[in-house]
Amino acid sequence: MAYSEKVIDHYENPRNVGSMDKNDPSVATGMVGAPACGDVMKLQLKISDDGIIEDAKFKTYGCGSAIASSSLVTEWVKGKSIEEAGEIKNTAIAEELALPPVKIHCSILAEDAIKAAIEDYKSKNG
Amino acid sequence: MNYFQLFGIEVTFDVDLNQLSQTYQTLQKAVHPDRFAHASSQDQLLAVQKSAEINDAYQTLKQPLKRAEYILTLRGVDLPNEQQSFGDTAFLMQQMELREMLDEVKFADDVDAALNHVQQVFRQEYQQLFDLMRDNIVENNTAANVLACDNLRKLKFYQKLNIEVERLEDSLFDD
Repeated sequence: MAYSEKVIDHYENPRNVGSMDKNDPSVATGMVGAPACGDVMKLQLKISDDGIIEDAKFKTYGCGSAIASSSLVTEWVKGKSIEEAGEIKNTAIAEELALPPVKIHCSILAEDAIKAAIEDYKSKNG
Repeated sequence: MNYFQLFGIEVTFDVDLNQLSQTYQTLQKAVHPDRFAHASSQDQLLAVQKSAEINDAYQTLKQPLKRAEYILTLRGVDLPNEQQSFGDTAFLMQQMELREMLDEVKFADDVDAALNHVQQVFRQEYQQLFDLMRDNIVENNTAANVLACDNLRKLKFYQKLNIEVERLEDSLFDD
């Protein structure tokens, strides 16, 4: 299957790979997995006191599309408020990366990772 | 007719694989194209369709995870869509650690020993979950069926991990 140029770019030069301290109250961690392909995705957001995402890191075990989706998301969420980040839709990710229909679930995984991270942040700072 | 009925066995998680394979061959012989060489084109088509169904049934019943999924479907359990994200954080954290552990294997001083260790850990955890799922399926009540689904989804992550282990093995032996 042919990957789009954008997927290959993110796959070969993933942005913001890494980890943050998940016990830090300003760090939100979202963990999601896709049983169908066994992909595991961790997205971490560093959030300022006024609710702005200052930094984002990811670690993903999965196919090229899953890595590209999470890499793209870390670029997109930086500088956004958590409300704005929560509005990012998988369709926008899929469109940006030109994902084929069989890889749409990778973009869904990335959207769910943002939601899971925001939920984690709210439960920490609720 | 469900796949178990097709193979003349009860709906059960523990199937005799030898018997299953024998029944498969007997069933396939009965619909072999050679036997329908002079039959009407409609009968030929039916035989081909039956053969495909027998094949699907065999592939499903033969593999434990597919068999588990099939039994749960027969029970009318609402299986979560495979594409749906799985959000059990503790389990996923552990999965991530296992994948990191696998990543480290190729940097180990003794690669063989490291690989063996990883395989042993994976096998042990897979077996634990597998036994849990089997018990859930045997128990067969609403709560147990939900747990069985959950454990089945977790087992699929291990299935994927095992593919990664095989891939790593191949790459190590290629050198």
